[in-house]
Amino acid sequence: MVQVVLPGILAAQAGGRKRFELDAATVEDALRALPVADLLFDERGQLRPLVNVYVDGRDMREDGSLGMALAGASEVRVVGAVAGG
Amino acid sequence: MGVVLLVGTRKGLFLVHGDDSRSSWTVDEPLLTGWEVFHTIRDPRDGALYAAANNFVYGATVLRSDDLGQTWERAEGLGLPEESELKLEKAWHVEPGSNGELYLGAAPGVLFHSDDRGTTWTVNQGLLEHPTRERWQPGAGGMCCHSIQLDPSDPQRMYVGISAAGVFRTEDGGESWTPLNKDVAADFMPEKYPEVGQCVHKLLLHPARPERLWQQNHCGVYRSDDRGENWERLDGNGLPSGFGFGLALDPDDPDTAFVVPEEADENRVTAGGRLGVYRTRDAGASWELLTDGLPDQAWTGVLREGMSFDADSVYFGTQGGSVFAIADGDRWVEAASYLPPILSVEAAEWSR
Repeated sequence: MVQVVLPGILAAQAGGRKRFELDAATVEDALRALPVADLLFDERGQLRPLVNVYVDGRDMREDGSLGMALAGASEVRVVGAVAGG
Repeated sequence: MGVVLLVGTRKGLFLVHGDDSRSSWTVDEPLLTGWEVFHTIRDPRDGALYAAANNFVYGATVLRSDDLGQTWERAEGLGLPEESELKLEKAWHVEPGSNGELYLGAAPGVLFHSDDRGTTWTVNQGLLEHPTRERWQPGAGGMCCHSIQLDPSDPQRMYVGISAAGVFRTEDGGESWTPLNKDVAADFMPEKYPEVGQCVHKLLLHPARPERLWQQNHCGVYRSDDRGENWERLDGNGLPSGFGFGLALDPDDPDTAFVVPEEADENRVTAGGRLGVYRTRDAGASWELLTDGLPDQAWTGVLREGMSFDADSVYFGTQGGSVFAIADGDRWVEAASYLPPILSVEAAEWSR
């Protein structure tokens, strides 16, 4: 089991729920199981470019991106890109 | 009857409640925080709220609320078909259709309709595959389908305004679309009067005289009295500029319209360094400046969805976060201030 943690704007779209306990083999499996998957992936099924994902503090892009294995991982954290304004 | 203004901002949706006289106002706590709310309506058929909302990380969506904004249901699978080679960019404008339908205008220059209260949406193929599409160009706000006007005298006839593609009309319920841009200037193009490519900023049909259309364009203010076949340019009759975005009408008088001119496309602030609304009561033959209750000095703007009207008043919101309404006679009252930059204002009636 891995715990997926959402930022506030996505938690509001997930019925107010910020944390999800999931069985998922990869980052992609975990993200697609969320009730806000349509906000993370576009209509072609591609991860929106400003969505960042960290697995136990490690940027998934450094280790396989969406295919990064979650065996042994405890937390997947979704973080929107930071911008001013 | 009182009014509720649905005020979409860069940082959420605000419900601004006005009394019968439009002189006393209260502002509720924001809804849909974190979202840029491009447009919101209250569907008069069932009271549901629909918001066209966008987020720079999480994309474009449409949300429905059946409890006045306390909870929201998001559209499912909103997007463009792969064969179009286009992706949905922004959700812009929601419009109630006939027989329970809803329409959604979006970027890049696309129109959707929904038969299930906004849960699922189907793209209009006639516009998506329009033979002139390769000549359309995005304006500063993207290639947005921002105006959707239904003819109350004929459910098969409707109009859309797309920036920068122009005005289009269907007579067959959306199967085919005819460009209607004759004598409408496109000063930014090599050819000044092309078939398509005009930058319409807002298009409105007069509900009591549906053959009459008004448009605030990038290059002028225009009126058509023959369903868009011919357009007469009106900003030379006393407006300080033909450039602007907001447009409002008087549902009881087809000869009355309101605009908020800006300096120019290269300097998008209120004309003359003041916040003023210009009104015509003679179908655009002349214009008068309404300033009572508005600040003498202001360099702000009113965006294309930032103006609305009902039978009792005209409303607008500024990029400086102020909302104004005509309360009595020609006096403006500031209904709200210090909101985030305002993207849209829509008037809806209900009792609390």
